[in-house]
Formats: sequence, C-alpha cells, structure tokens
Amino acid sequence: MADLQINLAGIKSPNPFWLASAPPTNSGYQVQRAFEAGWGGAVWKTLGDPIINTTARFAAASFNGKKVAGFNNIELITDRPLEVNLKEIYETKKRFPNHAIIASLMVEPKQEKWHEIVKRVEDIGVDGLELNFGCPHGMAERGMGAASGQVPELVEKQTYWVKEVAKTPVIVKLTPNITDITVTAEAAVCGGADAVSMINTINSLMGVDLDSWNTVPHVAGKGAHGGYCGPAVKPIALNMVGECARNPLIDIPISGIGGISNWKDAAEFILMGATGVQVCTAAMHHGFSIVEDMIDGLNNYLDEKGIASVMDLVGKSVPKYSNWGDLDLNYKVVARINNDVCINCNKCHISCEDTSHQCIDMLKDATGKSYLKVREEDCVGCNLCSIVCPVDGAIDMVEIKQTLPSMTWNERQSRIASFMT
Amino acid sequence: MSEYETFMEEKNKIDSYFDKGYQVISIFENLSGTFVDFVTGEEAIEREVVQIQLLTAEARKYIATKLLFVS
Amino acid sequence: MSTITGGRISSNLVENFEEIHKGLTRSEAIEEANRCLYCYDAPCITACPTSIQIPKFIKKIATDNLKGSAKTILEANPVGASCARVCPTEELCEGACVLNHDTKPISIGHLQRYATDWAMKQKEPLFKAGDSNGKSVAIIGSGPAGLSAARELSLLGYQVTIFESAEEAGGLDRYGIVSFRLPREVVQWEVDQVEQLGVEIKTNTTVGVDISTEEIINQFERVILAVGMGQVPNLGIEGEGLKGVYDAIEFVKKTKVDAPTDELIGKKVAVIGAGNTAIDAATTAIRLGASNVKIVYRRTKNEMSAYQFEYDFAKQDGVEFRWLTAPSKIVSNEQNEVAGLECVKMTLDEPGLDGRQKPVPLENSETVLDVNVVIKAIGQSKHTKLIEAFGLNHTKGVVDVDSETFQTSQENIFACGDCIFGNGQGEAMVVSAAQQGKEVAKAIHRTFMLQSEIA
Repeated sequence: MADLQINLAGIKSPNPFWLASAPPTNSGYQVQRAFEAGWGGAVWKTLGDPIINTTARFAAASFNGKKVAGFNNIELITDRPLEVNLKEIYETKKRFPNHAIIASLMVEPKQEKWHEIVKRVEDIGVDGLELNFGCPHGMAERGMGAASGQVPELVEKQTYWVKEVAKTPVIVKLTPNITDITVTAEAAVCGGADAVSMINTINSLMGVDLDSWNTVPHVAGKGAHGGYCGPAVKPIALNMVGECARNPLIDIPISGIGGISNWKDAAEFILMGATGVQVCTAAMHHGFSIVEDMIDGLNNYLDEKGIASVMDLVGKSVPKYSNWGDLDLNYKVVARINNDVCINCNKCHISCEDTSHQCIDMLKDATGKSYLKVREEDCVGCNLCSIVCPVDGAIDMVEIKQTLPSMTWNERQSRIASFMT
Repeated sequence: MSEYETFMEEKNKIDSYFDKGYQVISIFENLSGTFVDFVTGEEAIEREVVQIQLLTAEARKYIATKLLFVS
Repeated sequence: MSTITGGRISSNLVENFEEIHKGLTRSEAIEEANRCLYCYDAPCITACPTSIQIPKFIKKIATDNLKGSAKTILEANPVGASCARVCPTEELCEGACVLNHDTKPISIGHLQRYATDWAMKQKEPLFKAGDSNGKSVAIIGSGPAGLSAARELSLLGYQVTIFESAEEAGGLDRYGIVSFRLPREVVQWEVDQVEQLGVEIKTNTTVGVDISTEEIINQFERVILAVGMGQVPNLGIEGEGLKGVYDAIEFVKKTKVDAPTDELIGKKVAVIGAGNTAIDAATTAIRLGASNVKIVYRRTKNEMSAYQFEYDFAKQDGVEFRWLTAPSKIVSNEQNEVAGLECVKMTLDEPGLDGRQKPVPLENSETVLDVNVVIKAIGQSKHTKLIEAFGLNHTKGVVDVDSETFQTSQENIFACGDCIFGNGQGEAMVVSAAQQGKEVAKAIHRTFMLQSEIA
C-alpha cells in the first residue's frame, strides 16, 4: 500500500484527489458526502458577495454518442451569504479534521476587500485559500475572476494583498484564457503565492441548436459564453501544468486541474509536475463514488512501480518536456503492421493515403487474401495509422536504429550558422 | 520519383563530394530549400566550387548531421 | 444480426403474429452506429448482393441524417426494408464485418431496419421517376425481383406495368414470409414506393389466363419474367389428400391474409422438409397453438437449407427435429383425417451428382409419428407452363438466362428471381432477387442504348 498523502505548500490531505471549487462543493452537505466517499480535499465553491444565477447553466459536448466529452457552464460563484458557508465549513472541518478544506475566494480587486474576506474565512478555520483569478464568465464582466487573472500586474498585486494578512497557504488559480500562462504564474510567484492551480475553464460556446438557432445552453433565447472543462480540455491543461513545472521561475507547487477523469489522468498530471489534482466534471458526470477507483488505481500503479509515496512521483516527467528545437531530428520510427492481429478495416491505408504520406499499400497474397503493408522507406513515422487503428497491437511504431547520432534543430542551426554568409 | 528516391540521390551526392575530399564552404537556405556549396581541397591550384540544392527534408537533415559529426 | 428469438407464445393468437423484433431505439441505433469503424473498401459492402454502401448509411444514422441513410440503402436495394428483416445477415454483411475478428460484428440488419423504418413514416417520397423515354416494359410478378426491376426502370424513364396474379402485390415478401418476421405493412410500403413512381400494378391478373402471353409480347417492348415459384409439389405417398394435410406455402399465406384461426390449437404437427419455408411453417404452427411440432427431414442438420438463425429460432419456439427420417405414408382415420405419419429411418450414402449425400432408407425401420396435421415443405414447383407459353428455353422448369444480362432465349424477354433459381443457377435470397431486378433493368436499358447508337 503506497502512501497517497500529499503536502501541497503545507496543505496536507490523505490523498491527492480534491474536488475543485465548483457546484460539487457548494455546501457542507455535499463536501461531507464527498469526504465520506473518499475525496482527500475540497476547494469550497468560491466565496464572495453572493450572486444571482440564471437557470439553464450547463451544457455538454457528446462525441460519437459518448456523453460529456466536454462540459460548459455559466454558473457564477456562491449564491449564499458568507456566514452560511462559513458555518458549514466549520461543521465539515470539525467532522473531517484530516481532510483538506480550501476556501476559494473572489472579491473586487481592492486591498480592503481581500483583507476582509481572508480574515473572516481564516477565522473559521480552513487549511488554505485559493484565489479565483480564473472564472471566465459573468464575474469577469464585473472585473473579477479571469478579468483580473489576465492582467499579470493585477494577479501579483492581489496575491500580495492576500499574503499581507493570510496565515494559511495561498494558492492562485490561473485562467487558461491567456496566451502564455507562465506569465501570470510568474506574477503569482512575485506576489508571494505559495502554490498555483490550473486550469480554470476555457471560454466556450457549447453549441447552436439547429432547429431554434438558439445558443446551447440559452437563457430565454439568449446565450453568453461559458467556461469549458471536462475530458476534452485535459491536453490543454496538461501542457499548461508542464510549461509551469519546467519553468525555473515558477518554483512553487502546482495543483493540477482540467479534465481529470480517472487515476491515469491524475498520474499524468502528477508526473508532469502537479502535487495533487482537482476534479469536477467527472464527479458531476458520475457522482462522488468515482474517487474509489482513483485512489485504488493510483495505489496499485504506485505499488506496481515500487514507488512508496505519491509525492515521489511528482514531476518525474518534467525533464522530458522540452522545446521543439531540442528534439532529436535523427530519431526515426516507422509503422509496422502485424497482419496476424490486423482485421483489415483499411483505416490505416485510407488515413495515410488521403491525409498523410501514401505509404500503406493494400495488397493480396498468393491465396488472394488481403493484407496491408507499410513501405517503410516512405513512412515519415507520423503515428497517424496507429492512432486510427481500432485494434490494439495491430500497428506498432517501431524505432529504426540510426547510424547517425542525435541532432536537434538547435544543434543543426548553430552548426550551419558558420557556413551562412 | 518517390521522396525517398530523391533523398537517396541527394544523399549520394553529398557523400560522393565528401568522399572526393570536397568541403562545405557555404550553406544558404530559402523558400526553395538548402543550397550547399562544396569546394575541392585547398591544395588544388584552381578551386572548383559546386553547388547542390537539397529538396528533401531528410537531405537537409543529413547535411547538417554530416557537418556536426563526420567532417 | 437476425437475433429474432422465439419461445414466447401467447394464447392470444393475433399477438403471436406481430413482428417479434421491435426495432432499435434511437439510443441503441446511435450507440451501434458509432461502433461501426467506417472501414475503407469495407467487406460488408462486398458481401451484400446489392452492394449497399453500409458504412455510409451507418455513419448517417450516427449523424441524425436518417433521410440520407434511408436513401443510401434504398438506392442500392429497392426492397431494403424487407431485407433488413429477412436477410441472412450473418452469412452476408455481418458475417464479413471486420469486427468479427475483434469484438462483435455491427448489427447491420437492425441499423438498416432503423433507417428504413424512419423512411416508412415519411410522407415525401425518396425517389422520383426519370423523364419518360417512351419505352414500355412488362413485368410478370410483383415479388422482390419484379419490384426492384420496376423501380430501377422507372428511375430510367421507362413506363412499367406489373402483372400480378394475387390480390395484392409483393409476391413472396407479401405472402410467403411469416408476418412475425416480415409484417405486411413493410411490403405494402415497398410496393407503394414503386407505385408512386408511376408503375402500374395490375393485380388479380394471371398472365396466360386473364391476358395472353402474345398480348404481353405485342404490347410491350421488353418483358421481364419474375414469377418466382409455385406450390409445394406432392410427396408422392399415400394419404396426401387427407383432411389435415397442408401445402406450407398456402399455410403461411393464409396467416398473412386472414386472422389466425383456431384449427391447429392442440394439434400435433409434422412439417416435412427443412428449408426456409419449413421453418416458417413450423413456427407458424406453433403460433397457431399446435401442442407439438416436429420437422421431419430425410437428411441431417448439415444438409438442411434453412439458415442457422432460422434453426435456432425454431428450436427456441420448441420445434423438434427428426433427422434422417422420411415420410412413407400419411395414416388416415375413419373420417379421412390425418391420424399419423409413417416414416422410415434413412442413412446417408455416397454423394450423388449434385455433391450431396443421397439418403437411402433403412429396411424395416418404419415408425408412425403420432400427428394429426402434416405440412408439406419440400420445395416449390416451377411455372413451367407459363415459361413455355412465352417460348423460353428452360432446364427442368428453371428459365435459361445469360448469366450477365439475364436475357432468355427470346431476345426481348428477360427473367430474374426465383424462376431462374435452381440447377446451380441463381440464388434464393430476397436480396439476390432484388439485385437481379436491378441488373435486368440495367441490361434492358443497355439494349435500348445500343439500338440508339446503331440508329
């Protein structure tokens, strides 16, 4: 049994799985149910001046019949008075003293506003604070959330104000709706943040109804952009975590968020530098019980790998994440089709023929049986055929041992520079 | 001619100039690919300059690898 | 896949004849459609006699383009709604699905039904007749081959008249396939689709009786013979005239025309033969309330011409099989009713000229099966008289045709469907009849194109 406890900038939790600040953490009832189900921590639904929500708040993308490939919401922060939330936080913390409760906060970008809420929340007893600089809809129109999170100076200044009074660790939650997230992450570091969390949701419009031509969702025939999350955003989030993790200026822990649906996703985020993860859409799709497999699967994985603590996994893939210019141009893989496993759907052929490098031939053997073969000298090793292949093990991308040594683009350019006149 | 055959032709050219003792004196890259100027060894009385144009990505990679590790 | 399951017999006989499979729900259809790999050069297309672009129609179901899906199916197969129900899919498209080698094949038949069921609910026709080219074609028979040929010829601009001896059009699909597998409404819709193109269907019109073959030949520029096959021939044993002996074709037909009767309730039934019709007759007998139904076949399961899914279906219905058993006499009681079926045990000898092992009787093996109904399902007779009236060459009642053009020995007369099936020629499936209908139409069109080229 591996040790799943984490310590993120001083915030300890029995496992790395936290519920993100979102509808699942709206109330004490929900968070307590989540802790009973096994979640290690919860970032409370963002506290601030209570808002008013619309109905028709969520929408989701289905892909090829699979529901909730992506998820979109236009819900705002808590609509309940601070006292109500604080009372429930207190009760929950009392019942679950070893679980992490982090209060997500959002107020106007004014020093006194931040000071007031930080003090009142910390007085009730929380394990940490998360500053919501990411909510992309609604609150942003009022100068909060992503609107302040997109301006590095505001990120730094507000973090600084919070740190002036905060006694617990401060996590700054970053918006992905920015060209380079490392810029705002650095601003958070400069402001004194103890950790960053990412990503918040991505500006999105879920769809358009083809009969009514209304937006999806719509509120009485009108729509507004929402925040996108769920499995579809995982690669975007993972990149942002990786970019921050490998940036030497961002030397604080990262809480990974974005499309994490199972222990494998979580392990990937942890390998790419996250000290723990936050989950929302998967819980909204399936309920709190999904954490059981997250814990079990991660534990079994660590045991199989002989890793004693999940903390030992943190960032192990970060050195492998690099710039394109540092990739070896002389590394060569080619596709090889295992005709014993291949079921002859010809998807590799047509994908290569129509959209890649025309190197998979449809042939017939002496008995008239169809088979597929890669002309390896023409194969550029793009992986497409193995991606579209529906059968595991039918196409291997095989490394071709090179007689030439490794050479990156950067090495090439610096070598030929002396010949350029 | 397949891309691979074009590459092999370009690679053979590069190899043959190196084999004959030519050296690269200039490399120029633009929208049309890479242009490599070879010259014969310094001891020759009249230095002959030959230019080859490399069209394939593989050859543009290969010439740099040769320069980095072989010559 | 033909996953019809039997075994749930109601005492309300009408219910027993309702279509067994209720069709996929939208969710089921979309889930299954999304499982299709959309193979390139897909083997299911090759395996379909009518070459339906299966991955395309399935993809269209997945994208809610049901109109496009139904058109893709029906373009290739004018009786695609019937075929979705009666095709031996595991021998055809589903048998060829590449997922047989991985998980499980796509339920192509059910998906085809889903799309064509949608089409059946639409008011707008899916196809329009071509501009008239002034040429006329007569088609004898309105079964799948005739309907298919008529549809294709209409699209090409021909004026088509179908002559049908029965009261309603549809042929085998209308009268010969049990309604719990192929309801009448489906066939009627397919007939309607052909009629709305301007095809005239003259029912209750028997060629050779109500109109002479000469009149047909004189009135039309081309003639297609698509008359299928006739009644079940005699067994040639004693007692065939007794009360309680039925012709399987007539027996099934009655259930597709009239409400079920109680005449079989509690009866013990022997069905002679093990082909598609035998299975239909046996399962029909069960649904009419027979207390026991036995299929009696002189060969073994390996030689039966029924499909595996039909066999499974009959077994689920509780039909018993008596292999290597040949009837020798139908026993009578004093009221001239069937009182039993005397049978002899058989054994299989060396293969005969047709490659099948010849059954030979075992001496002194007579037994009497305790039955009071005998249904004959040993194949169908040919319409030899009509074939000869048209002056067509034939081999034992099977019309001789050119294998590519389906042209008979008479230049302007073509033939397709079950009337060219036999002696190693043709196929007996509805789907192959549909394909032949298409090919005949193309061949006829070519003859006119050729003429205009010459002129």
